[in-house]
Amino acid sequence: MKDTRHTPPTPAGQGGKASQLSGPSAPAGTPDPASRPGRKTRDAIDEMVTTKGWDTSLVRRLIGEVRAHAWLFAGSFGVLAVLFLLELAGPWILRGALDGPVQRALAASDAGLPDETAHWRRALFLWAAAYVAVALVSTGFRYLEVAFLNRTGQAAITDIRAKLFAHLQRLDLAYFDRVPTGSLVTRVTSDVENLNEMFTSGLVVLGFDLVKIAGLLGFLFAIHWKLALVVLAMMPLLIGVSMVFRGGARDAHRTVRARLARLNGYLQEVLSGIRVVQVFRREERVRERFAQHLKGYLAANVRTILLFALFFPVLDFVVNVVQGATVWVGGIEIAGKVLSYGVFLQFWLYVNLLLNPVRELGERYNVLQSAFASAERIFAVLDTVPAVREREGPGRVVLSADAPCHVRFERVSFSYKEGVPVLQEVSFEIPPGATVAVVGATGAGKSTIVNLLLRFYDPSAGRITLDGIDLRDYDLASLRRRVGLVLQEDFLFAGTVRENLAMEREWVGEEELELALENSQARDVIAARAGGLDAAVSERGATFSTGERQLIAIARALAGSPGLVILDEATASVDSGVENQIEEAQRNLTREKSSLVIAHRLSTVRRADQILVMHRGECRERGTHEELLAQGGIYARLHRLQFA
Amino acid sequence: MTAPSRSPLLHSFRRFLRYKRPLALGVLCVPLSSLGDIWITKLVGDALDRLRNAESAEFLAGLFWMLLAIAFGRGVFRYLQRWWIVCVSRYVENGLKQELFDKLTRLSFTFHNQSRSGDLVSRITSDVENVRMFLGPGLMYTLGAVVMIPVSLGYLLVLDAKLALSMAVPLAIMGLGMQLISGRLARHSTAVQESLSEIASRAQENFAGIRVVKGYGREQQQIARFDQASRTTMGHQIELGRARGITHAITWGAKDLTFVPILLVGGWAMIDRTLEAGDLFKFIDLTFKVFWPIIAVGWMAGIYPRARVSAARIDELLATDAEVNEQASPRTIPTVRGELTLRDVSFTYQGADKPAIRELSVRVPAGSVLGIVGPTGAGKSTLVNLLARLFEAQGSIELDGVPIRELSLTQLRGALGYVPQDGFLFSESFRENVGFGSETPLDDPTLARLCEQAMLTEEVARFPDGFDQEIGERGVTLSGGQRQRTCIARALAKDPRILVLDDALSAVDTETESRLVANLKSAGRGRTVILCAHRLSTVRHADRILVLEEGRAVLQGTHDELLAQPGWYRETWARQQAQEELSEL
Repeated sequence: MKDTRHTPPTPAGQGGKASQLSGPSAPAGTPDPASRPGRKTRDAIDEMVTTKGWDTSLVRRLIGEVRAHAWLFAGSFGVLAVLFLLELAGPWILRGALDGPVQRALAASDAGLPDETAHWRRALFLWAAAYVAVALVSTGFRYLEVAFLNRTGQAAITDIRAKLFAHLQRLDLAYFDRVPTGSLVTRVTSDVENLNEMFTSGLVVLGFDLVKIAGLLGFLFAIHWKLALVVLAMMPLLIGVSMVFRGGARDAHRTVRARLARLNGYLQEVLSGIRVVQVFRREERVRERFAQHLKGYLAANVRTILLFALFFPVLDFVVNVVQGATVWVGGIEIAGKVLSYGVFLQFWLYVNLLLNPVRELGERYNVLQSAFASAERIFAVLDTVPAVREREGPGRVVLSADAPCHVRFERVSFSYKEGVPVLQEVSFEIPPGATVAVVGATGAGKSTIVNLLLRFYDPSAGRITLDGIDLRDYDLASLRRRVGLVLQEDFLFAGTVRENLAMEREWVGEEELELALENSQARDVIAARAGGLDAAVSERGATFSTGERQLIAIARALAGSPGLVILDEATASVDSGVENQIEEAQRNLTREKSSLVIAHRLSTVRRADQILVMHRGECRERGTHEELLAQGGIYARLHRLQFA
Repeated sequence: MTAPSRSPLLHSFRRFLRYKRPLALGVLCVPLSSLGDIWITKLVGDALDRLRNAESAEFLAGLFWMLLAIAFGRGVFRYLQRWWIVCVSRYVENGLKQELFDKLTRLSFTFHNQSRSGDLVSRITSDVENVRMFLGPGLMYTLGAVVMIPVSLGYLLVLDAKLALSMAVPLAIMGLGMQLISGRLARHSTAVQESLSEIASRAQENFAGIRVVKGYGREQQQIARFDQASRTTMGHQIELGRARGITHAITWGAKDLTFVPILLVGGWAMIDRTLEAGDLFKFIDLTFKVFWPIIAVGWMAGIYPRARVSAARIDELLATDAEVNEQASPRTIPTVRGELTLRDVSFTYQGADKPAIRELSVRVPAGSVLGIVGPTGAGKSTLVNLLARLFEAQGSIELDGVPIRELSLTQLRGALGYVPQDGFLFSESFRENVGFGSETPLDDPTLARLCEQAMLTEEVARFPDGFDQEIGERGVTLSGGQRQRTCIARALAKDPRILVLDDALSAVDTETESRLVANLKSAGRGRTVILCAHRLSTVRHADRILVLEEGRAVLQGTHDELLAQPGWYRETWARQQAQEELSEL
């Protein structure tokens, strides 16, 4: 946390500091060549702060993103402008009162006119009332200064956050495989929040501060040009001190952040490996390591403290020089009766007003820079084009049939990485209502078939049709809606069991749920929970065993009355206890539906209408269980081994 | 919150007192710099008065240099006060972090198993920072305020008591207003924090379950849900903004209003010639100067509750007594042979309703190989943890006839070479990782031998930096199999009498696996090896295999014996062989 003289209450009131010293933030989520062996990467944090001071195209793009809220931004400027005028009005009234009624009353009493003195005494009430009015109105605007600006920033970032998340939802699975979940979360959380700082205390206030500085200088010249010259002469020194120190502070902060991230990273690492540490009895060693990290962190902090300890006094010293010079020059003028006390006071107060934005200049600039880095990362996500896209314009087919689907793979090839084929010219057909099973070793390409059929990826050659139409011609949502998917390690969402079954599919009603529970054997599992269908599911479904999760996933697939069922090794990680239940459920699931079953265990595929034996991306044998046994090939051998 | 100490912050403050000299110096500088500030105002004000009657303005040059001198001195004191006090607060922070870290490494595995690591990390990071902020910079600001406010007000009282007192009215209003708004501020700020973490967990869940989301075409619904969370946050943020706006308005409004009595009461006093123009200037200038300290005090009051809770949480962790305790005078064995005997061993995790291990008895002669197999969740890892005394088992576990509870922890764990399931490695160099268990860095020949045994030679040869290759985040990413083999090398580096592999060969292909197992046995001169495995081929050559189901040993015997009887072992063996066959085509 930065210690600024005025930090504690954050004078302008805009929330916390942009640069919250957070834990090890995820490194920028670009698919990185940096993990290549041998290449030493710099501190991840270093890369989080852009080196560019100002990036016009970035700012232009950001402004484009928030154009919808133009009036909010205009309003914010308006609030600041009114407030500025009110700030100017205070000292102006003060001067008016001093040079007006007070001087007149003094003159009147010198002249021995008690009535007139009393009159001017009373007149002071008016000036005081004017001051009260200004103070009250500015109090209202001070409220708006914080509340309205905050609202503006929030409106802007809520839009950006929504856009970012929606875009992420459109990206293909390959992207999610590539970029770690943690760094994606950082994009939609802290990076977006950084932009709030940028919109409010960054762009708007910084922009207005510049107006203020220019405006005040103008007023100073209008009031008393000689004094104004003194102030103007000192301005470069003030701004220079502010910028130089802030530059140093930025570097120092960056080092602190990087070292803190390392420290926390190490802490996290030790905690997650505490078992190894304790079994190896190396507590002492990790303590020493931690102490080393702490030492580095402290050294970086001490540098920052030194900078700030120097910064404020130096800046204030320069301010004092300005004030001293004002007193000197102003004093001569007062002595020569050229300058009144009132004007001097007004001038003095305006100089005070001027100094605040100058002081803050460097700080705001830093906020802006760290927000630029966030903006860059956000735009990098928004600029990622999904590899799997729906056909543009007309001709997109919305799948609406209720009947079992008819699937054909026609000489489909695919590779995740160039030159490493995973599927090679695979052809097969799932006629309506039929069950096709795929068996094969890990890496034979079984799951890739599922990925292609769901259009998580597009084939590199060949085509896949559903009911005679190429998958690429379908409306994606309508395609996937027709599919009931059960994964090996199925995923439950935090919420209730009911929510997990229905998945907000509007066509899944009570009736469908009932039927699904009946057929999936999940009824008992769910009935055993307090709350039944409304029982809470914790994150990732941790409160359910693997088998139970699997049953719920099957019920989920069933509930949608899919035209095509995909079971991806649904029993692989389930122990024998619930295995039979799951197999029973699977039979119900695949009955009268087109289905694709990926299996580890041969017992689950025996009833399939066709079994494909995959090996190294190729389909080596196909036929029914009996046919394959008769063939005496791979399948027959496997079967002998497993059921000998 | 039950705090071990009645005033945890005071308790934390004792740590500051360890740095008496710098702290005292820093504290001494605070009033000096504040007084300098007030002095400057006084000089300027006095000069303004003098100007009215003075014939010449020549004294102004002297005044200018005088002001500069005072300003310089004040700057030095301000520099020193910040330097000493904030540095001390950082030293205290570091000491506290080290102490907490030391404590964490000492706390038993049971404790760690139950705590969320995120929570522990936040104690070392944000809790310590909260306390530091309050006691370090907070102390500095408060001290400044404690000097600045009374001295300024006192000085103003002497100048004009009526005016000084009338100025107190807006200040009192401000204090009252802040008090009223503080609850609202805290409430909204908590709501914002909570809704932000809700956003994070929604996003986290979505990204982790993206396959299901997409598989079911639920993107639109997910977007809608996310937007809802996002809008809730926005609502709370706006509310918080409003509360902050009120705070801001009250503070500044009070300051603005202070000028009303200055104008009115001060103006009258001037007319009555009881107040000079220069004195009026002093009132105005000091109002500005006490404004920030007053805000700082408000800020301190605002962070006080949080700092207090944080200090209590720190104390709580430091007072946690959950260490695996050694006996007062633990026993040691002259030379460990490596015989393990388990008798009626049971174990139930805290909060679980079923035991994870039930009445398990087995004898592992020194130098033999024991395989432990069974379905997921049968208790294999738990059993391994019990052997290392990471958890305290019921029943008796003996090493060479001595109950491990009576044995020195260092000897027990020193005798164990442990290879974890998850292939946990540090983000350090390969050399440091393999040498993790030894006091001195490993030399190249030793490393080469270990690599040979763990079948890593080829891979290490491909590392650009050889043995000194950084691993993990900042270096090369190892595959699952490579990690597991590096963990094996790390365990072997200790030359342990007992080697425990917790399903640590799952990512190694079967051919390498069988050669590895042979290496592990032969290199150890009669080392006891315990192999937990999911894949039965790992344990087929074990002297004895234990089949666990729901924490019970349902079968024991050699591979051939187990194959001879129907059941889980035979079925699984057949299935796995078939898979194996398929992948080797």
